[in-house]
Amino acid sequence: MTAQSTDPAMHVTDDVSTGRLFERTCAAEWTRLWTVKATWWFLAAAAVTMVGLGAVAGFDAAGDPVPSQGDTAWVAANFTAMPAQFALLALVLTAVTSDYATGGIVPALQWTPRRAVLFLARTIVAAGAATSLGALLALASALAAFAAARPVLSLPLDKGLEVLATVAFVFAAGTVLAVGLGFLLRNTAGALVAGFLLILVLPLLLPQFGYEWMSALAELLPGSCALFLLNGEPDSQGMTDASSVITMLVWPAALSCSAGSG
Amino acid sequence: MIEVRGLTKRYGDVLAVDDLSFDVEPGKVTGFLGPNGAGKSTTMRMMLGLDRPTSGRALVNGRPFATFAEPLPEVGALLDPGSVHPGRTGRNHLHVAARTNGIPERRVEEVIEQVGLGGAARRRIKGYSLGMLQRLGIAAALLADPRVLLFDEPINGLDLDGVRWIRELLRQLADEGRTVLVSSHLMSEMQQTADRLVVIGRGRLISDATTEDILGGLGHRQVRVRSSQPGLLFSQLQEHGLTVQSVDAHELQVEDSTAEEVGNLAHALRIPLHHLSDVEQSLEQAFIELTSNSVEYHGRRAETVQARTEVAP
Repeated sequence: MTAQSTDPAMHVTDDVSTGRLFERTCAAEWTRLWTVKATWWFLAAAAVTMVGLGAVAGFDAAGDPVPSQGDTAWVAANFTAMPAQFALLALVLTAVTSDYATGGIVPALQWTPRRAVLFLARTIVAAGAATSLGALLALASALAAFAAARPVLSLPLDKGLEVLATVAFVFAAGTVLAVGLGFLLRNTAGALVAGFLLILVLPLLLPQFGYEWMSALAELLPGSCALFLLNGEPDSQGMTDASSVITMLVWPAALSCSAGSG
Repeated sequence: MIEVRGLTKRYGDVLAVDDLSFDVEPGKVTGFLGPNGAGKSTTMRMMLGLDRPTSGRALVNGRPFATFAEPLPEVGALLDPGSVHPGRTGRNHLHVAARTNGIPERRVEEVIEQVGLGGAARRRIKGYSLGMLQRLGIAAALLADPRVLLFDEPINGLDLDGVRWIRELLRQLADEGRTVLVSSHLMSEMQQTADRLVVIGRGRLISDATTEDILGGLGHRQVRVRSSQPGLLFSQLQEHGLTVQSVDAHELQVEDSTAEEVGNLAHALRIPLHHLSDVEQSLEQAFIELTSNSVEYHGRRAETVQARTEVAP
């Protein structure tokens, strides 16, 4: 052993408080998240999508021969959030499922045997990081649109707070949903497909069949609610901000409960 | 100290571990032996709280492993060295481990140097050989200087230098008063390293004794003797009540005797000897005899394959 080795008889493990344990587990999860390339690639993809599309929207507005009155650059944040969220969902999803794919869950549980602490820390760190960075990228997207379109688009602060809060909520609910899918399915490909179905494919596909019940079902999917909160679509009488928020909270909660009991 | 009491694990119809009870004491290297499928890894996984026992319990320093908030100062373990994220560097892998248990960052550098990974710690794990993965796993196990260490096949993939290093490390850890449990298929290594052996087969305990007792308990002392008059020696030894077999034209094997006894007899009979030695008992032989009825997966013997090949059209 090294010179720092101590007499094992002198070892006494005093259990730390749950709060301290959670803090340390979160610190480890933060290191775990940012020490793999995939995290940086997905973040770069989200950044390119949001800032790039924001700038394109700004140039588009600047080049419009009939500029619309009263438009704000914050609209860019709303519209770019929908495609960019998939990169953030993939970021958190791989943070969860990669441990099952590589077998890394074995040392993870050896180091933190209390599963509830480990899984809660992983959820909060991955979803929290993706949500915070997503909100910052939404701000960058609006600034890019504002700079590209100046002076056509305005950038009012009150509207900005509202948009950023909405985008942050959509990202938070979406990333926790992705974490829940990851814990439930423990498989990257399966969880990605499930995420795409719930957020993109089924909300668009189900109303196309023309049955009322299928349209009603589509409105209960997290993707429909995210689109409604961000862009006010679909223009349905059955959807409100409150119903969308509740639906988007129920989905990740239900998936997390299923994963926890599995 | 590890205490295993009535540990049982059933997967559907398969009884992987069957009412296993034994202790792993501090200050000793305890070898954990058994044929493939005997239940060694399942037992170690239950010790570490990774599998839930069907019944019974495994206590580490008096507690179930899963009750430790920060277990690394108590238990360091290497189960599957490949169970790591290949995209992370070795150093970052250890940093994650250190942060979970509040271990100072400088300790990471110490264990990297200790296991000889200094030159590779900055590289991503996907570029590591099996031997390097073993060293990384051992570094993680040693990170918090634990009282109890569990190693599942730690010698796999190590070169000769690595094997000597781990042999010395295990000895040193035990001499420092730690509890060391090592599973291995390499009998010669266990014979050299382990003070005590726990042998299991088909999930059941076959033997729990010191290495010396297991080797001595075979009761098969054998002597090899070479002579220019093997026929005469053969008949004389048999007349004196000894069981003798011919090994080749000039060499005999005498059962349940000693070199001293055979040498004295040959001298009295004036039979010249060219070689005389006690056959050293090996743990491999002991293991085969102990587990002969407990092997889960049998391979076809080479000579059988050969014979079938010869008669094939």
